[in-house]
Amino acid sequence: MEDPAVDVETTGENVAGERPEDEPEAVTDDVTAHDEEVELERTIGLVGGLAIGIGTMIGAGIFVFPGLAATAAGPAAALSFVIGGVIALLVALPTSELATAMPRSGGGYYFISRSLGTAYGAIVGIGLWLGLVFASAFYLVGLGHYIVAVLAEVGVALSVPLAPHVLLGLTFAVLLVALSIGGTENTASLQNIIVVVLLAILTGFLTYGSLDALGVFGRETAPEAFFSQGYFPVLTTAALVFTSYLGFAQVATVAGEIKKPSQNLPRAMIGSVLIVTVFYVVTIFVATSAFGAEPLGEFGETAMVEVARELLGLPGAVLILFAGLLATFSSANASILSASRSVYALSRDALLPRRASKVNLRYGTPHVALLLAGGPIVVLVATDEVEVLAEVASFLHLVMYGLICVALIVLRRRDPSWYDPSYRMPGVPALPAIGAVASFALIAFMNPTSIFVGVVIMLVSYLWYRYYAGTVELKGDV
Amino acid sequence: MPDRPSVLVPIRVLEGESLPEGVPKFLANAHVVLLGYHVIPEQTAPGQARMQFEERANRKLDQFETAFTDAGATVERRLVFTHGAQKTINRQIIEHDCLAVLVPNAIPAPENVLVAVRGTVGLDRLARVVGGLFADADVGVTLYHVVGGGETDEDVEMLLESLQDRLVESDIAEDRIETLTDTADEPLDAIAETAEDFDAVVMGETDPSLATFVFGMPADQVADRFLGPVLVVQREPPADEGNGMEEAAGER
Repeated sequence: MEDPAVDVETTGENVAGERPEDEPEAVTDDVTAHDEEVELERTIGLVGGLAIGIGTMIGAGIFVFPGLAATAAGPAAALSFVIGGVIALLVALPTSELATAMPRSGGGYYFISRSLGTAYGAIVGIGLWLGLVFASAFYLVGLGHYIVAVLAEVGVALSVPLAPHVLLGLTFAVLLVALSIGGTENTASLQNIIVVVLLAILTGFLTYGSLDALGVFGRETAPEAFFSQGYFPVLTTAALVFTSYLGFAQVATVAGEIKKPSQNLPRAMIGSVLIVTVFYVVTIFVATSAFGAEPLGEFGETAMVEVARELLGLPGAVLILFAGLLATFSSANASILSASRSVYALSRDALLPRRASKVNLRYGTPHVALLLAGGPIVVLVATDEVEVLAEVASFLHLVMYGLICVALIVLRRRDPSWYDPSYRMPGVPALPAIGAVASFALIAFMNPTSIFVGVVIMLVSYLWYRYYAGTVELKGDV
Repeated sequence: MPDRPSVLVPIRVLEGESLPEGVPKFLANAHVVLLGYHVIPEQTAPGQARMQFEERANRKLDQFETAFTDAGATVERRLVFTHGAQKTINRQIIEHDCLAVLVPNAIPAPENVLVAVRGTVGLDRLARVVGGLFADADVGVTLYHVVGGGETDEDVEMLLESLQDRLVESDIAEDRIETLTDTADEPLDAIAETAEDFDAVVMGETDPSLATFVFGMPADQVADRFLGPVLVVQREPPADEGNGMEEAAGER
């Protein structure tokens, strides 16, 4: 089957005189065709797509947040994750529809720039790039905590000038970027394996934990009021932990490389949201049942290790430590790669210098784009502000999510002739409208520092667009 | 003159791989599907590589295309940026209905060609390729069969004769066709050894269960040792467009 491409004549040029690349002519199940003779092969299947989505998300929700979330909201933190999951789903549906209509690299940025225009596109595109950078830094700090916990387990205490987990986070940031630039190994199939191993470990652990929490093994669980911290913290916690749901949009950033995009994109995005939501909610249930919310919070980022130790002893702790390492590592890695894809999408459209997406001749990898992701990540990891990093990442994504919902409503209403998604979400315009409102509303529950940083980034993005690419016109015939 | 058999010529166009000498002449009677491909690591979006390399790749493909058309072939061409070479090659074989794939190695002016005949399966396609390519060329064709266990001399004779008849029908002079049989435990070794006396090899895909891997396949092992061009005749594509094949080869 063949879809007509978006009916858009990109025009204008940036201050360096670069013009947006031409749009492709056609999209098929197997390729993006630029003209009769030049094709871009699609090579990522459903499994690969799910692995990107789940692999990015599961690191944060299970291995970093339970302690933090339980402190803030008590056992009702489970509800916070449900709220996050529902909002993610409300956005995953329109994202899926748009992705099947426009399966191009850049995901949300592409949909918004083509349907709402360059200004929105620039804000979202630069926001997506930096949002992924913040997310990546957040995962790396989490990874640092897990390595410290592993070392503590074997009796090694690091004495270094910096906080040890920050130092380790920085080391891994540099290592990951270097690997991405110099490594031509098949990292994606490694990602698939990691995700499968993770899901297997978690399924086993959570099944045991749930049975235990329900009293099957005759152990008393800590009885506690569900809303021990009141109702309002449930919402602020939802805003905080929303970082655990950013991954499905990463599937859309590689939409240009997904095989049979009309089937695989919706399945991978909606599927990964549903799967991780179940895992998150069960995790919080098990974690709060094992300890009660308050002690859980005292364990901080690696609270899950203590939960595992409580339930299964040392082997459990080791298993979860291992899983936590894998999960945070894969989340960070996937985010760096997606950030680099976003830089490419911006540079393709002349919103960033063409140089930014240059591929190096030796390895065939986009070293400039990867460094544009890696450089800021290093700085952000050094701040060690876990909650701010998570919230800013969520903020920038939520702005995009809200606008994706708006874009969907606009496209459905105008119904341009090229707009022919093979997947149509139900409940338009009500569901996407709720999705948009919920996305923007969640931002309001964040702490002021995160909102401030987020707003500044949006403002700078807009000014950059005005200065650098003011005449570039990316909006399609809408 | 028989139909031009369509032959896929895959070339890693940006890695210094160029069109080996003699290949255009070898395929003068073919409909050449010229595939320039560039394999990129997963960190890189295919479109990103295209932005940077399209022009250079197309300049090289222009040269190759001219070489083929000058030699007399008809040419259709594609430039593909891909994460998975095998998926790309398989897709091209199906989309362009290619009878054979060339493992491109240099060839002097071809004088004699070794045709490795495996069995009755796929004989028709083999005949179409050999007949189509060498009908009016001044090339000696040697039909070669490695006798396996359970085959009688009669079986072998029938097999080679039926192919010979097909080739004569498609205008290859009878005196240009020879037959040769051999007994060996390892047919591939035998083919590679015998091939040393020839300029080019035409052989079928081997084990159907491994059919997706044109390269890194028995045919490829022969090509590696033989150093001349090997034409790998493809099996009949399965009725359902071979989606399963792609899954197996292109999944990541």
